[in-house]
Amino acid sequence: MHTIDIKNISKRFGTNQAVKDISFEVNPGEIFGLLGPNGAGKTTCLRMVLDIFKPDTGSITLFGGSLDEGKKDKIGYMPEDRGLYQDIPLERCLTYLSSLKGMSKTEIKEQLDINLEKFGLADHRKKKVKELSKGMQQKAQIIATLQHKPELIIIDEPFTALDPINTQLIKDILVTLKEEGTTIIMCTHQMHQVEELCDRILLMNEGEKVLYGKLNEIRKQYSGSDVIIESPNEVPQIPGISNIEKVNGTVRVGLENSLSPQDLLQNLIVNNIQIEKFQIAVPSLSEIFIQAVTKDGIDE
Amino acid sequence: MKKILLVIRSEVVNIFTRPSYLILTFGLPVLGFILFLVFTNLNQKETQAISEIFKESPTTVQTEGFIDQGGIIKNVPEFLQDGSFQEFENENSAKKALEDTLISAYYLINPDIYDTGEIIYVRPDFNPLSGNGQDWKMRELFAYNLFDGDGQLSALVQYPVDFIDQPLDPSITEGQDSELAFIVPYVTTILFYIVILSSASLLLNSVVSEKQNRVIEVIMLSVSPHQLLTGKILGLGFVGLLQSLIYTSVGFTLLKISGRSVEVPPTLNFSPSILIWGIIFFVVGFLIYASLMAGLGALVPNIREASQATFVVIAPMIVPMLFISIMLEQPHGPIATFLSLFPLTAPVAMMTRLASGGVPLWHPILAVILSLLTAALILRTVTGFFRSQTLLSGQEFKISLFFKAMIGKI
Repeated sequence: MHTIDIKNISKRFGTNQAVKDISFEVNPGEIFGLLGPNGAGKTTCLRMVLDIFKPDTGSITLFGGSLDEGKKDKIGYMPEDRGLYQDIPLERCLTYLSSLKGMSKTEIKEQLDINLEKFGLADHRKKKVKELSKGMQQKAQIIATLQHKPELIIIDEPFTALDPINTQLIKDILVTLKEEGTTIIMCTHQMHQVEELCDRILLMNEGEKVLYGKLNEIRKQYSGSDVIIESPNEVPQIPGISNIEKVNGTVRVGLENSLSPQDLLQNLIVNNIQIEKFQIAVPSLSEIFIQAVTKDGIDE
Repeated sequence: MKKILLVIRSEVVNIFTRPSYLILTFGLPVLGFILFLVFTNLNQKETQAISEIFKESPTTVQTEGFIDQGGIIKNVPEFLQDGSFQEFENENSAKKALEDTLISAYYLINPDIYDTGEIIYVRPDFNPLSGNGQDWKMRELFAYNLFDGDGQLSALVQYPVDFIDQPLDPSITEGQDSELAFIVPYVTTILFYIVILSSASLLLNSVVSEKQNRVIEVIMLSVSPHQLLTGKILGLGFVGLLQSLIYTSVGFTLLKISGRSVEVPPTLNFSPSILIWGIIFFVVGFLIYASLMAGLGALVPNIREASQATFVVIAPMIVPMLFISIMLEQPHGPIATFLSLFPLTAPVAMMTRLASGGVPLWHPILAVILSLLTAALILRTVTGFFRSQTLLSGQEFKISLFFKAMIGKI
């Protein structure tokens, strides 16, 4: 059973068709990336999943059925617009939000102590939320999302306002949660931040599906026959090489169909070329996105 | 139920830890207490009843001049022989006296007074807000002289009749402090208007602030609209009721410890039952208006627009204030009866009537039933559009949107 099963959902706000006929599934225990530029319809999709917005057409199934009050406690949601009570102390705010998720007082205290320590907010627990920096509020919001150990975590733009250290902290936590079996949907326009985390992705643009599937397969689909070589020697002009381009101390070599990367590597070794790095050039998600949206039609 | 209790507790704790609420709820009574003590000490020797506070205080007599060119004023009645008037031969001398501040004003009675009926009143400090100074004294003086010094006739012409209310029940006699017969219902009306409005406004602020800091999106994924709305209404209703009880208790305590007593006229039904009715009508009034405010809060994008739109919701509550004179004169007349039974005006209007006394028991009972039914209907309607899509829409607020929502058209 899929954790989430979405079939042909669409949503229109006035004249703006925010989401057009989107279908996807999210499997248990995976990190699913809902990616795309600003205004692509990602947040609207998430809000329909969470029954915040009703889809105009299509159907949504969560944990095998529609979202009811009981299932709400299984979900941890961090919205794009951060939502915390600003005028009350952090500890009280998080305690209240946790209690609404069905946690007991003892559980809340125990879990809150751990999380505040883990996120470096233990010394700020008595401060009013509005007195915290943006980064701290972001971390507090993440605590509110994870506190009750949900089965499904939905986080919208999780790395906004975080410095590299805290970004890595969140990434590590998400990976740990995934290993523990938690299903995670991550929604972001910062594609480079999630390429290393996601198992599968849905790439959206202007409300439509652009790419959908396993990240590795999509990468393979979009990777060409180029290789990147780092070598103190000049790369010789071997038959089958279409072009050689020097990029930041490395050499990007374009291959024709007649020459495979393995053949090239063998050839370079035979020619006593010293190889420090030999890598098949895999495009980044951003590059794949640009390629996909500039092509006619939509790839699956 | 557990989540409703959590919402109630959160609302109560959040309000109780807000300095502005603490100052308003406890600081104001303490301030009142201090002022009352100071006032009491200053007047320690006087042991006047509280009703006397409302009686007219003695005013300083200011001498005014007059120039009688019509030859009307020949005698001054005894009660005006206190330096109220000084006659002048001509206007110049009166004007000089006025400039020298020997008199506060003067009247010029023209020779053609019988034809025109006009007297020129010269004052140095004309102020439309200060009324007409002491001109009533000149009326008395003038009338007295028109009737050749017959004070009784003069008084009868000026104030022909004095109606004395005689209740059918001979055991009820009107007290001397008839001011209280007006003041108590009037104060009750104002008090109920303020208490219900301020408590219901807490709900509006709570909803709008949760929308503005976007926490509503997280909350709605934890509780149902019904749980959230019910929790907020009960929590903030408790806070409002507590505030009202504190004010009332402090008021009575202050009176008691200062050794004063409330001298209530027997015509006023100011019994403990009115306190019970007060609590009941506060609750139903709060339920109605808090639900409406919550609905308004769900639709408005920010607190600024909320303040502007509040008038739409509270307008029915203002109606009894507009008709208060009629209601006080005829507490059991058709207008007062209708307003006290109509659910949107009943919480305020019925309290006005109850404070006036003589209301048949079935009237407040019917009013409570009708108000509760209305509150349930409004609560149900508001819960219908108190959902995330509306709360997060951020669309521009129009009055028509509110009415559409109330009839289920959004």
